[in-house]
Amino acid sequence: MLPLAGLSVLHAADPKGIDFNRDIRPILSDNCFTCHGPDESKRMAGVRLDTKEGALAALTPGKPETSRIYLRIAHTDPKRRMPPPSASRTLTAQQIGLIQKWISSGADWKMHWAYEKPVRPEPPVTKTPKWIRNPIDSFVLARLEQENLAPSAEADRVTLLRRLSFDLTGLPPALPEIDAFLKDKSPMAYEKQVDRLLASPHYGERMAMPWLDLARYADTHGFHIDSHRDMWPWRDWVIRAFNSNMPFDRFTVEQLAGDLLPNATLDQKIASGFNRNHMINYEGGAIPEEYLVEYVADRAETTSTVWMAMTMACARCHDHKYDPIKQKDYYRMFAFFNGVKEKGLDGRDGNADPFLRLPSGEQQKRVDELSAKIKAREAELAEDKIKPAQEQWEKQRLALLDYTAPAGLREGLIAQYEMDGTVADHSGNYRHGQTLRGEPGTILTSVGKATLFNTPSHVSLGKVDLGGEYTVAAWLVQGHHEPQTIFEQPGKLSVWWDASEPLPHLRRGAHLHVEIPGQHLRTRDRLVQTEQYHVAILHSQAGGITIRINGQAVPVVREADSSVKGSEPGVFAIGRETDTETRNGFRGRIADLRLYRRVLGESEIKHLAVDHRLPHMLTVPVKQRPKELTQRLREHYLGSIAPAETQAAWTDLRQLREQKAILDDAIPNTMVMFEMDKPRDTFVLGRGDYRNHGEKVSPNVPAVLPPLAASTKPDRLALARWLVDPQHPLTARVAVNRYWQNYFGIGLVKSSENFGTQGDPPSHPELLDWLATEFQRTGWDVKAMQRLIVTSATYRQSSKATPALIERDPENRLLARMSRFRLSAELVRDNALAVSGLLNGKIGGQSTYPYQPPGIWEEISRGEIFSAQIYKESQGEDLYRRGMYWFWKRTAPPASLSTFDAPDREKCVARRSVTNTPLQALVLMNDPAFVEASRVLAQSVLREAGADNSKRLTLAFRKVTGRTPDAKESKVLGELAAKQLARYMRDAKSAEALLAIGRAPVDEKLAPAALAAWTNVATVLLNMDEAITKE
Amino acid sequence: MNWKREVQLLETRRQFFGRGAKGLSAAALAGLLNGDAAAVPTGGLPGVPHYAAKAKRVIWLHQSGGPSQLDLFDYKPQLKKFHGSELPGSIRMGQRITGMTSGQASFPCASSIFKFEQAGKAGIWMSELIPHHKKIADEICVIKSVHTDAINHDPAITFIQSGSQQPGRPSIGSWVSYGLGSETQELPAFVVLLSQQNSVNADQPLFSRLWGAGFLPSRYQGVRLRSGKDPVLYLADPAGIEREGRREMLDALQALNKMREEAYHDPEIDTRIQQYEMAYKMQASVPELTDLSKEPASTFALYGEDARKPGTYAANCLLARRLVERGVRFVQLYHKGWDQHNNLPRDLALQCKASDQGAAALVLDLKQRGMLDDTLVVWGGEFGRTVYCQGRLTETDYGRDHHPRNFCMWMAGGGVKRGFQLGETDDYSYNIVSDPVHIHDIQATLLHCLGVDHTKLTYKFQGRWFRLTDVHGNVVRPLLA
Repeated sequence: MLPLAGLSVLHAADPKGIDFNRDIRPILSDNCFTCHGPDESKRMAGVRLDTKEGALAALTPGKPETSRIYLRIAHTDPKRRMPPPSASRTLTAQQIGLIQKWISSGADWKMHWAYEKPVRPEPPVTKTPKWIRNPIDSFVLARLEQENLAPSAEADRVTLLRRLSFDLTGLPPALPEIDAFLKDKSPMAYEKQVDRLLASPHYGERMAMPWLDLARYADTHGFHIDSHRDMWPWRDWVIRAFNSNMPFDRFTVEQLAGDLLPNATLDQKIASGFNRNHMINYEGGAIPEEYLVEYVADRAETTSTVWMAMTMACARCHDHKYDPIKQKDYYRMFAFFNGVKEKGLDGRDGNADPFLRLPSGEQQKRVDELSAKIKAREAELAEDKIKPAQEQWEKQRLALLDYTAPAGLREGLIAQYEMDGTVADHSGNYRHGQTLRGEPGTILTSVGKATLFNTPSHVSLGKVDLGGEYTVAAWLVQGHHEPQTIFEQPGKLSVWWDASEPLPHLRRGAHLHVEIPGQHLRTRDRLVQTEQYHVAILHSQAGGITIRINGQAVPVVREADSSVKGSEPGVFAIGRETDTETRNGFRGRIADLRLYRRVLGESEIKHLAVDHRLPHMLTVPVKQRPKELTQRLREHYLGSIAPAETQAAWTDLRQLREQKAILDDAIPNTMVMFEMDKPRDTFVLGRGDYRNHGEKVSPNVPAVLPPLAASTKPDRLALARWLVDPQHPLTARVAVNRYWQNYFGIGLVKSSENFGTQGDPPSHPELLDWLATEFQRTGWDVKAMQRLIVTSATYRQSSKATPALIERDPENRLLARMSRFRLSAELVRDNALAVSGLLNGKIGGQSTYPYQPPGIWEEISRGEIFSAQIYKESQGEDLYRRGMYWFWKRTAPPASLSTFDAPDREKCVARRSVTNTPLQALVLMNDPAFVEASRVLAQSVLREAGADNSKRLTLAFRKVTGRTPDAKESKVLGELAAKQLARYMRDAKSAEALLAIGRAPVDEKLAPAALAAWTNVATVLLNMDEAITKE
Repeated sequence: MNWKREVQLLETRRQFFGRGAKGLSAAALAGLLNGDAAAVPTGGLPGVPHYAAKAKRVIWLHQSGGPSQLDLFDYKPQLKKFHGSELPGSIRMGQRITGMTSGQASFPCASSIFKFEQAGKAGIWMSELIPHHKKIADEICVIKSVHTDAINHDPAITFIQSGSQQPGRPSIGSWVSYGLGSETQELPAFVVLLSQQNSVNADQPLFSRLWGAGFLPSRYQGVRLRSGKDPVLYLADPAGIEREGRREMLDALQALNKMREEAYHDPEIDTRIQQYEMAYKMQASVPELTDLSKEPASTFALYGEDARKPGTYAANCLLARRLVERGVRFVQLYHKGWDQHNNLPRDLALQCKASDQGAAALVLDLKQRGMLDDTLVVWGGEFGRTVYCQGRLTETDYGRDHHPRNFCMWMAGGGVKRGFQLGETDDYSYNIVSDPVHIHDIQATLLHCLGVDHTKLTYKFQGRWFRLTDVHGNVVRPLLA
């Protein structure tokens, strides 16, 4: 009901009678254009009502009773009445009346307002000019006077500064800022605050936030696996552009075509990433052409929505049903964006082509150094230098082969499992194992068959007596990121992986731990998850445990405590029976598991890890060797066989490469636009399907709008410049309307994403045109436009309303008051962090991972080998960055922000919904981020206000709302504080539990009961409607 | 509606209202979960349903990954002779195939190794993998001729759940809650349950867009009910805050908000006051909902012991029943792990073991409670699987790629025929030979059962009146009871 009520406000008490664009076109568009509009293929009975000629053919001006259009909509026979029953649309009596009135009064026809260039109107003359501060107010007041309404009084200073601070920086004012403003008696006191806030570095962040919604900015690719990407350098460019007050025309050109500017700077290239923010796919099996088309379509549609509020997408499959946009127009627009040097399926390892690396000066220097060294080492180890020697060695080695393992390798062997999917013992001792849990499968690996355990598994090998000196050896692959048991024999031995952590190059890895009674070792370095290692655990009476990986002893770290207590050894098992928080059953691969009752020598282990497979490798003829095998042999030769100096060079090269890999990972990169030498051909696509090529088209703009400059090459740069040409009817209007929406909640045109015939008519058309022309006149000065709006008397009104005014104008379209609405999702969080003092105000950089309940990502994600599948909470200060820096995973956006209507950023969003739900109450009351903010707020209040309860109360209240509480409010809060204190005095344990929430340190000097009680008082304050509302 | 069920419903609702409902009448709670104080009690659109509804609510059991119709319902005995031989070009007819098998040198047919039997009065063929389904053969209506436009997971799931292959549209559950609102004021109208993987092959990701509201107001998005301490995000009070203490805080908060409301007269403040009460009540009612400990032993005999383990498919099927009992309009369940590109015989068996009993039990349970008459249960994946083998083919092992041209779904309950099957495919289960049913037709039929004309449930966005079925879809009349 609300939107209708809002619309009727705009219709009421209009002295000028029927206005075609406001009153008639919406009726025709919504009800008639589907069959009598721009789409030629669907036009019925040859009647067309979207053009003047068409409409005049169907009516007689001044004479509704002989006008075909009126006769049909007013027909008494439902079968003959328009719209027909099949259309699921009916006209109301009021609408029919309006059409009758319009025809009677001469059927005045106007072009749809948005396609005509705005003409700068004179601000109207009003009866009470004293109220007016700038021309905005003249337009608003004139309209109010028509409605016999008066503007509201100016808001008090505290409210005003809080509103202004949220609007210009997204952050609440600090108490000293409020105090300074209250004390400032100069006539320009308010304007000084405006200028201070416009100069704040947080201004750029605030302005960027709605832009990120429009630009569908996110930190992941969105489709299917939804792994990570890096577009934050682009996001930071946007913040910088706003802070440096880049004019909107430049802002436009650089984002749409920065790469095409002559001698484009690095920043201009980064800016062009605007149109790489769309979703990207690499689902196995997807068809590249299909997705190439989707990417280009998204660019054309997003660009049209963002700069022109044009619903271009409606013309993808057929001519637009309502607006004069042909299907061909759509593909001409599409053609501007169809020349990017990109692939249909990409993004598996981060950014998709084309992207730009952005090393710092220091990083570049280091890259150059390392590259030079690597090149030198590579030259030393060049193919022609190594190959002959290796071939010789291979020949010799092959001649020596006897295909059997050294006899000694069976000595002391008490169990051997080939792990070919079974757990049969081949040692001759018949200690066959038994799978107690899990579904083992077989897999062929580079070292022969292996058993694959996909789910947490447990395999018992029975009561094996390893004795005092023993060896456990196997090929292992770690198959899951969670900590898991590999081998376990209670009372004797425990071998396990801890939780894997991200490593460079999108890999993950975990430490291997070995525990025996009285000793606990782990590998110093992480072993890469999903990679195969030969692991040997050797225990000697004298030296304890040694770990050998791929035959080599590796550096270890001694851990303090061993969980294995010496006792009669239990059953030897792979994995474990139950999963606990610290250890799961085994997941991964095992091959050639051997248990020896003796310590194997170095050469024996090497044999198991390397030589044991060597005969099989060497006997494959060189020409038939797969790449992997060739490489394996080469590495074996360089690492163990070649002359000492070659081995040293090889070791050095490997280290250099690893260093460079780590460095490369640390160098940020960002996706950009980059044209192919020859752009792809563009065709009209039948029904929008990539397979249906129709007519070939070249880049051009919709025919209803002014033409491209004749002399220029029709490329993206020409398109961008065309958008900001003073002749363009849409760009400036669309931009200023969005600014208006940021401040007043609803734009002058409510449908800020659609200025077409199906969009909402402007509430104040002259004001919209005046602002648009003013924006152009000032050279697209963005800060000046914000300043203009926030210094108007309209903006400075109080948001208090009477019930009568609420009823008359629930959406505040007439602006007889200031709008009052909830803060956006990010700001709800930023506000709590700011008032508590937790906020880390750092601007820009990589996205962060604040607190989030476990499993939000993991339950839906693909896991393991791809990035952005496992949520890893940030550490320290990064927990308290602003909400706009929260890592935005499209398939699982930040949980608490989503609850407050943040979009998933899959598509361009011009307007967020503003809901009010119980789930939001749960976030504000129970989310650890807010509980922690309450506690830290309470700490600062107790420290700053001393022991006096009323002082504490006032300070806490002021920190949250900016104002002093009145007596009634103080009473409520005072009583709450007393009751809560009594509770926690009785129950110290609960106080302790509450205070333990969050990682910010607890102030130990404060009494826990008092701090807990005041934490809850702070929670109540932060939950007040006022606290999360811009008044 | 039978009296027995009425009494049961009243009973469950009373449990919901039981504690802490003082001061708020049921009417005052209207539409609270929709976040819209001005909404009519059920929160739906005026004039909807458009005609008498057969079903009042839906449980959609989505089998994510694409279950193999060839190994479950679409029995092809003739295929035995073609096992290992090339799929004839006359059958494939150059249809597009995924990038995973388009490079394969050959496309040998793989006949199912599983035994099939006919079940129920209609003689519906079912394989040995789904023995429990045989018990519901007389309740369900199997459609063997469903087809979709998409060939890969992301677009196909997005298509079946939102009517469009590309992201951005509202999900089917959000359309239904937008149109029909909620039957309850105590729970969200649209609830989502994800089943944890029980089998080895559960690598298909899901996306929150599948239950998102698209361009509909975000209040219509599905609320994920998770297993564990916080079934709804942030439901539990923080450690160290007891119920009475929380009530004290709320009382203070509400008093402060009331004062603000008196000064500003903003109706949003009043709504917020009510939302906080609702949240407080949910903190009691949701744990009661998810607590299965009071279910009798007979429940677990029916659903299987797996149902005691939170997050399993069986437990979620049981939870789905408890949700619809309490008036939830749309329950969307996802079960991952049906993407058998290889090792199909082993992995599909595991997948069925984890899901066969739960799905069948749900239908039987609804029936014994008299709720199957007005609850529609839908079972199916986003596409089917190819007759030709992907990867290695042996007598006992094979894999199958994605197949959008025909696959099987079933529906049961409110509005559809019982013990019925529709549609036929050719001998290769590669092409439909009769009664094709498109995804948009499934969607149109589902809405029809709910009393909604799919061409009239629309929402204006960017100037266009959008609907779930885009500009397509026909109600599948032969399915209707």
